[in-house]
Amino acid sequence: MENLEETIFQIILHGGNGKSCSMEAIAAAKKGDFVQAKEKLEQSATALNEAHRIQTSLIQSEVKNKKIEMSLLMVHAQDHLMNAITVKDLAKEFVDLYEKLHA
Amino acid sequence: MNILLCCSAGMSTSLLVTKMEAAAKEHGLECKIWAVSADTVKAQIDQADVLLLGPQVRYLLPQMKSLANEKNIPVETINPVHYGTLNGLEVLNTAINLIKNH
Repeated sequence: MENLEETIFQIILHGGNGKSCSMEAIAAAKKGDFVQAKEKLEQSATALNEAHRIQTSLIQSEVKNKKIEMSLLMVHAQDHLMNAITVKDLAKEFVDLYEKLHA
Repeated sequence: MNILLCCSAGMSTSLLVTKMEAAAKEHGLECKIWAVSADTVKAQIDQADVLLLGPQVRYLLPQMKSLANEKNIPVETINPVHYGTLNGLEVLNTAINLIKNH
């Protein structure tokens, strides 16, 4: 783990990207563009996977007794990631709902 | 030059502000750079020459664009690589170019 601050920012970045994609998926579904909506949901999943991978690497180094400094920024990154995961799960439901309404 | 940054809580972006301020100082540029939450943008956009969005609020770009158009200032999302690597200088360059080319 090179620079902890940058690593934390990567979690915020990918988590945040994931959330943005989810919200864009809902916006596309609202307009009736379900191809775009599903593409955005996939992009969201990819971004969140990346955020999660970084998160896992942090947890693993902690388990291996490599102490990681807890900062407010780190807590904030976790907050971003959890929120992004929730939004992604709900976005999928929204897209499904709009698709039903559209049918 | 007044650069307004926006993310969901204005928290992570404030770290980027510190890096941008350092880059501005290094190049002898007079800049006011500050970060706010998405909800606060409307109240503070009057003081800004350019608005930059964090990648996590990219989905707000359409509504921020209409807000920025009203005030006749440029708005763009921060490049994810620049954001993720906390590259203050590159983000500062983006802001300056947006103002120049507006």
